[in-house]
Amino acid sequence: MTHTLQRVVVTGIGLLTPLGLTRQTSFERLLRADGAVRPAAPEITQWLPNALSADVDPAFAQALDRNEQGLDRATQFALLASREALADAKAERWDLDPDRVGVYAGIGLGGATTGEALYKRLHESRQAGRNPTVMHPLSVPRLMPNAATAAISMAQGFRGPTHTYSVACSSSAMALGEACRSIRHGYADAIVVVGAEAMNVPGVFMAWNALRVMAKPHPDHSAASCRPFDKDRSGFVLAEGAAALVLETAESALRRGATIYGELCGYGSSSDAEHLTLPSSAGQYRAIRMALDDAGMAPEAIDYVNAHGTATEAGDVIESETLAQVFGDHARRLPVSSTKALHGHLIGAAGATEFAFSLLALRSGSIPPTAYLDQPDPRCTLDYVPREARHGQTLRAVMSNSFAFGGSNVSLIARRYV
Amino acid sequence: MLRQIIQDFVVQQFNVDPAEFDRADLMVKDLGLDSLGVVEMLFEVEDLYGFQVHDPARYSGMTFNDMVADIEATIRAAHNGQLPEPASLQGKAA
Repeated sequence: MTHTLQRVVVTGIGLLTPLGLTRQTSFERLLRADGAVRPAAPEITQWLPNALSADVDPAFAQALDRNEQGLDRATQFALLASREALADAKAERWDLDPDRVGVYAGIGLGGATTGEALYKRLHESRQAGRNPTVMHPLSVPRLMPNAATAAISMAQGFRGPTHTYSVACSSSAMALGEACRSIRHGYADAIVVVGAEAMNVPGVFMAWNALRVMAKPHPDHSAASCRPFDKDRSGFVLAEGAAALVLETAESALRRGATIYGELCGYGSSSDAEHLTLPSSAGQYRAIRMALDDAGMAPEAIDYVNAHGTATEAGDVIESETLAQVFGDHARRLPVSSTKALHGHLIGAAGATEFAFSLLALRSGSIPPTAYLDQPDPRCTLDYVPREARHGQTLRAVMSNSFAFGGSNVSLIARRYV
Repeated sequence: MLRQIIQDFVVQQFNVDPAEFDRADLMVKDLGLDSLGVVEMLFEVEDLYGFQVHDPARYSGMTFNDMVADIEATIRAAHNGQLPEPASLQGKAA
């Protein structure tokens, strides 16, 4: 049996981020460079007075049905983002067999808020001399990493494959790449891909703090605390939220006249096999080259790169070196920005969120900035689109990169669908 | 009180008609709860009284009234024959 490889396009985007509760509000605020980083919740700052986070507006919960109130926070985010993405794609007009529609998710630490509540209850019960064995019977299905795919597939009646990728900061970028491959090779006609993360709870936050990778607060303006590529950068800010993208065959999209944000045409995935947390330029280079080769594109065809850009001492320098090596002379003309300065690091949801922003840039011609970048590190020599967005740009193709703890690198490329 | 706690939960969470509970022969299995729904229902009581009901599958063959009586007997057995106010258990050993 032979297959014709399908072209894969994105027809719907849903965003629920610290910048806004919708795609439009998130992207508009991103372009305004109005950052969402704030002091963390009191239950965290009581122990870590300098802690920062980028949290979703609590008003998000108003959109939940009663039977969704008890779900894990990350699953709630995923459900709402997927709803917006499917509405955006006008999926109600799909003529697809539900058996051929899948749900893929990327999540770094599934069920973090449920797990935190479970252990809090356990410890409080023991301290109060109460029986600690009484736990909510849905604790396990709420905290399992595939809770988001399960919830979306049941809510929408999608009976195709449901995959969950947990690859730290590359999780949802990998989910996108693998979904693209699944559709391209005929295993599904459409896949809703969602990245979700919600772990700004005390126990998890203390654990992140112990790694010494978190940004210190800016003395005058806490929103400006995460400063990728700046010489005064001090690390990243933990964020939460979700992004959902509807991927389908170009045939299916054209058949119902859907709006096409772009074609997901390149995916590369590599492993460093070197260090647990320190990134490797060689590993990043291979992922990016693989994505370019997959797309059949020369580096010069890329007009914008959404960098991983975590604002760590080592990460920004190594990533800049990698991009300079991959893009050669083109690197001097290539806008590269890290949007994490504004929305923080969504960890498992970062890849999908940043790829979504890259697609919105591709479609709108507006390139989001690297906010709060005042004095670049002399070792970071690219055009980082400092401080302000650039509008009216003609973009043919965009790249989004994600590099994870554990050494897993993912590069994604989207181009205008023609 | 115990009966009301369980009844309210089932009505709100599983959309069961409150009039159903007037029937003395109402069976637990007629409430439309699957096995997961039964343990969710029991958790409402377990959470208040600080103990876990054993072998919940047996309730599907009982009437609603018999199930409530069984749960009440279990609570009383753990509290010297008393059925304490749930709020009075807060902070005390079960």
